Amino acid sequence: MNFAAPASARAAWRRLDADRVGLAVLAASAAALLVVFVGVPLYAILRLSFLTPDGIGLDNYAREFGSPKFLRILGNSFAVATTTTLITVVLAYGFAFALRRTAMPLRRTCGAIALLPLYAPSLVQALGILFLLGRNGIVNRTFDLGIDIYGFWGIVVADVLYSFPHAYLILSAALSVADARLYESARMLGAGPARVFRTITLPATRYGIVSAVFVVFTIVITDFGNPMVIGADYGVLATEIYNQVSGQGRMELGAVIGVVLLVPAAVAVVAERLVTRQQHAVIGDRSEPLRIVPSRMRDGVALAYALAVCAAIASVIVIVIVASFVTLWPYNMQLSLRHYRFEVQNGIAPLWTSIVVSLMAAAIGVAVTVAAACVARWLRPLHAQALYFLSVLPAAVPGMVLGLGYLLAFNVPGHPLEPLYGTLLILALCNVYHYHAQGYLIASTSVGQVSRVFDETSMCLGAGTLRTLRAVILPIIAPAIASIAVFFFVRSMVTLSAVIFLVTPATQLAAVSVLLLDDSGNQNQAAAFSVCIMAVVAVALGLFGGLLRALAGRRAAGQGVG
Amino acid sequence: MTVYLSLRGIAKSFGGVRALDGVSLDIDEGEFVCFLGPSGCGKTTLLRIVAGLETADAAGILLRGRDLGEVPARARNFGIVFQSYSLFPNMTVARNIAYGLECRRWKAQDVGARVDAMLALVNLRDHAAKYPHQLSGGQQQRVALARALAPQPAMLLLDEPLSALDAKVREELRGEIKELQSRLRITTIMVTHDQHEAMEVADRIVVMNGGRIEQVGRAVDLYERPANRFVAEFIGRMNVLRDLHGHRLAGVRPEHVELVDDGGGARDGLRGQVDRCVFLGGTTRLTLRVDGQRVMLDLRGRRDDLVPGMEVAIRIPAGALVRLDDAVA
Repeated sequence: MNFAAPASARAAWRRLDADRVGLAVLAASAAALLVVFVGVPLYAILRLSFLTPDGIGLDNYAREFGSPKFLRILGNSFAVATTTTLITVVLAYGFAFALRRTAMPLRRTCGAIALLPLYAPSLVQALGILFLLGRNGIVNRTFDLGIDIYGFWGIVVADVLYSFPHAYLILSAALSVADARLYESARMLGAGPARVFRTITLPATRYGIVSAVFVVFTIVITDFGNPMVIGADYGVLATEIYNQVSGQGRMELGAVIGVVLLVPAAVAVVAERLVTRQQHAVIGDRSEPLRIVPSRMRDGVALAYALAVCAAIASVIVIVIVASFVTLWPYNMQLSLRHYRFEVQNGIAPLWTSIVVSLMAAAIGVAVTVAAACVARWLRPLHAQALYFLSVLPAAVPGMVLGLGYLLAFNVPGHPLEPLYGTLLILALCNVYHYHAQGYLIASTSVGQVSRVFDETSMCLGAGTLRTLRAVILPIIAPAIASIAVFFFVRSMVTLSAVIFLVTPATQLAAVSVLLLDDSGNQNQAAAFSVCIMAVVAVALGLFGGLLRALAGRRAAGQGVG
Repeated sequence: MTVYLSLRGIAKSFGGVRALDGVSLDIDEGEFVCFLGPSGCGKTTLLRIVAGLETADAAGILLRGRDLGEVPARARNFGIVFQSYSLFPNMTVARNIAYGLECRRWKAQDVGARVDAMLALVNLRDHAAKYPHQLSGGQQQRVALARALAPQPAMLLLDEPLSALDAKVREELRGEIKELQSRLRITTIMVTHDQHEAMEVADRIVVMNGGRIEQVGRAVDLYERPANRFVAEFIGRMNVLRDLHGHRLAGVRPEHVELVDDGGGARDGLRGQVDRCVFLGGTTRLTLRVDGQRVMLDLRGRRDDLVPGMEVAIRIPAGALVRLDDAVA
């Protein structure tokens, strides 16, 4: 047998050093980028919120909390968020129950429709509701009912539709696992359906419910697009921060509101993490999956309910699409493409800008989240935990706050990163770090599913860490990488909140155009622009599906050989 | 023969729990050694330390006199096969086998030739273009073996390579591994908890328990002259008996105990009562109570005449008794 000669052993040592250095550089840059693009902006906001003409102090807070207007807005925000959360979680629980615990037909279709709001600009719900129930909506124009949807209820309805998919995904996951043995025991003991639900289903899904409550609350209290469109003079924190900063240039008051918004979001994220940590205990390794027995009565009711929810979700989107193709909704329903001429403002240019920014965000997002997740695999536990914390920290930062932080931190004359301001890159980076936690969690979960045996085998065969990463781990998680790319692309296409402070006339984004078109009274053009965004997203998702099939096909292709 | 691999005083703790407690062992060149023991005995940890996948708290590992302590796994040039199928799922069989060669920067044509040779060695030439999930468990382990051997490793390390396979495939592959090892004369360590596996393939067996080596020897040595009760009971079956004074332990294999009276009438010998009588195919296993101790006998063929409760007499030939060194508790 050949034996490794001393010379080749020395060569191996040199490569090992390159390997260690490479790993350290990768880990350090992932952490450094997180500090610069999350930590620094957050610090800028906190600092400014405490900065007064007399130095550091609580004056800004005292002024804000002393103003009746601010207190009213704070109250508004909490009223909207609690009401919406209550309605959304109840509706979504029923919907998830219908899809997961009954044998109703069309379960897949209904599940897909429930996710539609994720793929539309974040103010489409409000836009659709206005086309339906607004002053110039079809209902008021046709029946002359004088319904006034603007304000509290408008925001609530729009945000229920907006946050619904998030609640549905969490509750659906909670309801899809169950231990059949518990249900069989309960039935044998004579419990009726209501008692089974109350004593088994509800307790088993309590963590999902709590988690959904926190997630929806955060989404609603930090939502900016829908209140802007339908809120009228019913101010909430997210619109107020925009008014203070963009309207009046009062950065320090914007910073105070930013910090106020940070609190519920941070509490929600921490609470949600604590709660989901408990979840694992619900299902043991000896659990039996639940088999659902069809029941005509129950399945019929479930289908009727699910279809009603789907109709509500789809209708606002469909109505926006229809409105974009008629001459003047609702007065002249003649089909027309005139709203797609985009004659005002920058025309169609923002759509292309959005696509470029989204592609950049997808590329950067994949690179930083996958690198962080992979590097964590070889770090010492303490370092890996620190990187994990930094990576999921952005989940606690609302988009408005992050965007404002970028404005405060980087748009400072003389700042080394000042040249970034006004570029497409800063928009892409802002989107990447806004959604960093979610992207990182997908990456880290899929990397975690790759058995350590592969690393050990690869090492024993003589490979270094970087080769193992490139040749083994990355190819195995290729489907997850593709889905992370699509995630960042889609989010960047539809998001409004983080980038609203960072766009300039030269770097206008599509979602911002929708807002500005609506603001200037061009609702039909806003609808047309929204449709363009949704079309781009649909194409991206279609390509993604094709890519996944191709990846699966490449493996299956070998099946014909031999 | 010269000492090839020398392990000296290897110790390892995991969070305060001692996994290895000062293990020392010399392995000769071309030898096939099995680490045998129950789960948790430290055998896998010892193999992983040899491979460089685990760092020992105290260790001297010498390969032909060269200290491996600071050499990382990737530079040790050891081939390893794990229990779970560790083939890279994203690569074909051929690319899996070529992996170690590419890491060593072999020339492309050399890689091709070597891969072909290895595929021939494990009789999988027709499967070069397949992906691991298209192979059976046995085929996957053969590819793993070919992949480990391809870079001409200094040693072959096998970590329970057969445990995940069906009984039939396991026996087949066991023979193949042994055959391959003797043909290549590659120094090999295999970890297993299966005594039959160890007895079939190993030149020497290292019986481990509680992080220590209990005994090292050929299968026949361990069977006929076990050093202590643990080895005696782990390798085959052993009746462990107290002597008259209860001071010493002695062992006797069930097949060495003779049945001198099967109910016909009293003669000399130890008298006992039948507890259980189980037909096992080639043999019948009889369990007796003799003086409050349990004694097992393996009798040839089928013995329907022996029923529980029956009085019988046995004889233990003097030469069949093995002294076991354990102190009596």
